[in-house]
Amino acid sequence: MTATAETTSAAAPKDGDVLVDVRGVKVHFPIKKGVIFDRTIGYVYAVDGVDLQIRRGETYGLVGESGCGKSTLGRAILNLEPPTEGTVEFDGVDIASLSGETLRRKRQDIQMVFQDPMGSLDPRQSVESLLLEGMKAHGLAKNEKEANARLRELLKAVGLPAAALKKYPHEFSGGQRQRIGIARALSVNPKLIVADEPVSALDVSVQAQVINLLEELQDEYGLTYLVVAHDLAVVRHISDRIGVMYLGALVEEADAEELYEHPLHPYTRALMSAVPVPDPVVEDRRERILLTGDLPSPANPPKGCRFHTRCPWRQETRCDTERPELRSVQLEGVSPGHRVACHWAEQIASGELKPHEVKAQITEQSDLGGDEDLMGPASIQEAL
Amino acid sequence: MTETIENIQTRRGEDAGPLLSVRDLKVTFQRSGEQPFVAVDGVSFDVRPGQTVGLVGESGCGKSVTSLAIMGLLPERGVKIEGEVLYNGQDLLKLSRNQMRDRRGADLGMIFQDPLSSLNPVVPIGIQVTEVLERHRGLSRKAATPIAREMLEKVGIPDPNRRLTDYPHQLSGGMRQRALIAIALAAQPRVLIADEPTTALDVTIQAQILALLKELVEDTGTALIMITHDLGVVAGLVDRVNVLYAGKIVERGNRHELFAEPRHPYTWGLLNSIPRLDGTRGQKLTPIPGSVSDNLPWASACAFAPRCSQPIEVCREQQPELVEEGTRALRCFNPIDDEVRSGRTPDAQAPTSTQPRDAAYPTDDPKGDPTMEESR
Ligand SMILES: Nc1ncnc2c1ncn2[C@@H]1O[C@H](COP(=O)(O)OP(=O)(O)OP(=O)(O)O)[C@@H](O)[C@H]1O
Ligand SMILES: Nc1ncnc2c1ncn2[C@@H]1O[C@H](COP(=O)(O)OP(=O)(O)O)[C@@H](O)[C@H]1O
Ligand code: SF4
Ligand code: SF4
Ligand SMILES: [Mg+2]
Ligand SMILES: [Mg+2]
Repeated sequence: MTATAETTSAAAPKDGDVLVDVRGVKVHFPIKKGVIFDRTIGYVYAVDGVDLQIRRGETYGLVGESGCGKSTLGRAILNLEPPTEGTVEFDGVDIASLSGETLRRKRQDIQMVFQDPMGSLDPRQSVESLLLEGMKAHGLAKNEKEANARLRELLKAVGLPAAALKKYPHEFSGGQRQRIGIARALSVNPKLIVADEPVSALDVSVQAQVINLLEELQDEYGLTYLVVAHDLAVVRHISDRIGVMYLGALVEEADAEELYEHPLHPYTRALMSAVPVPDPVVEDRRERILLTGDLPSPANPPKGCRFHTRCPWRQETRCDTERPELRSVQLEGVSPGHRVACHWAEQIASGELKPHEVKAQITEQSDLGGDEDLMGPASIQEAL
Repeated sequence: MTETIENIQTRRGEDAGPLLSVRDLKVTFQRSGEQPFVAVDGVSFDVRPGQTVGLVGESGCGKSVTSLAIMGLLPERGVKIEGEVLYNGQDLLKLSRNQMRDRRGADLGMIFQDPLSSLNPVVPIGIQVTEVLERHRGLSRKAATPIAREMLEKVGIPDPNRRLTDYPHQLSGGMRQRALIAIALAAQPRVLIADEPTTALDVTIQAQILALLKELVEDTGTALIMITHDLGVVAGLVDRVNVLYAGKIVERGNRHELFAEPRHPYTWGLLNSIPRLDGTRGQKLTPIPGSVSDNLPWASACAFAPRCSQPIEVCREQQPELVEEGTRALRCFNPIDDEVRSGRTPDAQAPTSTQPRDAAYPTDDPKGDPTMEESR
């Protein structure tokens, strides 16, 4: 892992033990059109050049608005979505280079927890068979006694009674189903768990149960997490480090505490100021950075800085023409591991540059391919 | 509608009488062969001009059914609606379907969570706005068009001239929600019901829509009923908050007092269980154990008792009444007191772990599996 470090940006972390090393990853989906011949008329630049490292035992939070490419990046890390470009190393090995038995064994090390616990569990399988499936496939349940002991341990770990084994997913509440999903991920002793929106489908009163469970299991089993979510409050609570994504790329990365104390990127600032806080005293005196307009289409991302169409700090030079790199900045209270992709981060932080009004620009919803006369969905997102 | 904005404004606020009074609203779903299900169970609240009233609670607690009942949009078959919905003193529940149709739009407007399903997919946005202007304000198509353009501009749709001819699917989620707001506003309703209007939207877009709604209430004196599960949205927008649990209001108060001094264990539990962006990191969340499937029937208990942090004996024996006291109302035998509040934790042996207490596991077991007991 350390051997590749010199080939990438200077700001890449050299400390800590890197478990997942993502280098220059791009995932582009072709947009097809045509009845007889499938012509590719363009691409959705879902992930468009991401470098990040996840250290062993930490929780890395990936946050951003819908369609920014969080889930696709998560899937690329699992190699469920082979990257168009770039590499993902897991535990020092390039995942794409693996096949057969070695790939199967690596797959065991990386498990996924999904947003919709119902959709991700086969309704015809009992909890017992759901949990045994992976264990058997990976040779973790050699005999019945061993398997039973392990099943009981798993259920206990996620806080379900042993009686749950004989039941089916529909017999549980949403929060309990998410516990089953987590137990299934744990069943094969993974090193990394990628959790995509693990609590967003749950009732508010139940979300905390699952958040706490994930935290406890991490302590107990020394797990590494990649948590993908749109809710910044949840991500900040659960993560050690956070990467903020906008239109297929990281715009800022920092320790959770520092990101909150010193957000540097204009988008991070806007995002943070938009998250409602359940406290009227705070809400009343808060300054909001209201963005105008919508997220541009990832099929036609703006040139230069991708945020320039909505950025209240956008400048005449560089912003529209030159794509900013994710870089460290020299500022008080900002550590070297804190990276930001903005040409003007220093001047914005010092207050030298002030925000200005932005006129909303139209985001075309109908230019993503798809036949308009078919009354297609407004975005590819919806078609999925 | 003949009323001017100034008229409404002079009458708004606490001193003005309620514009809409929901009295003892009860909605029962009765499907043949099934047990009747009470979705809304004796809900009462008032809405004044220029006031934003919130209905907050988790999925299934009856928020949407309450709003659909007010709007007269519940299906006729298999639903029993009791109580009163007084608008300017007149009971809307007594009106015929036709009479109610006239009231919708003109007096009562509604914005739904999913704008796509509530916009007509085959009619351009501009026509949908002008139709409302023609119907409710008696304008000609020609006179309505510039006003429609103005409305779209006002709700923050860029290049409204072009957007007039766009179909709903050509707009993004945020723009569709704006279009829906423009359509609802075109009729100048005096009461606007917004059911989770921002839940499907990204947070930066949510902030825009909430700012728009706030401005609307301030500028026109429209009364807003805001339905949401998000206490953060409530904290920023709502004047009077009603907390619903299993079809009943369990606590009510003005925004500041309710958050500063939550008294119901459910409200208190919710506030302790959500991570705050400005919270201390590393502090463990205190979840509410179990889920709504553990609820007891209100008829003979407090429905929340199995999940409550401080139940007492009577809670499982008798239904707590909603008791009004000044600006507050509370339905609880053993409210959260100052001591608990200052400790910032519901009770001494509160479940800080994820292994909640007895309530957590399937008492909802459809087969009543007795083996569930053993594992507790
Ligand atoms: N047409 C119907 N027939 C039978 N039951 C219904 C019907 N509509 C709603 N319900 C039930 O009434 C209860 C209240 O539903 P409601 O839609 O008001 O919930 P809500 O508070 O709006 O929830 P959410 O936050 O999920 O929107 C739920 O248990 C729901 O399943
Ligand atoms: N299989 C696919 N084919 C085409 N486009 C896709 C596919 N998967 C995702 N996308 C598009 O890629 C972008 C990023 O998607 P996603 O990673 O799911 O976003 P997020 O998880 O951040 O909401 C979106 O525009 C989405 O519509
Ligand atoms: S590079 Fe320019 S447009 Fe991009 S975030 Fe920085 S100031 Fe805004
Ligand atoms: S009435 Fe009893 S069980 Fe219900 S919330 Fe109050 S203390 Fe808890
Ligand atoms: Mg996603
Ligand atoms: Mg609802």
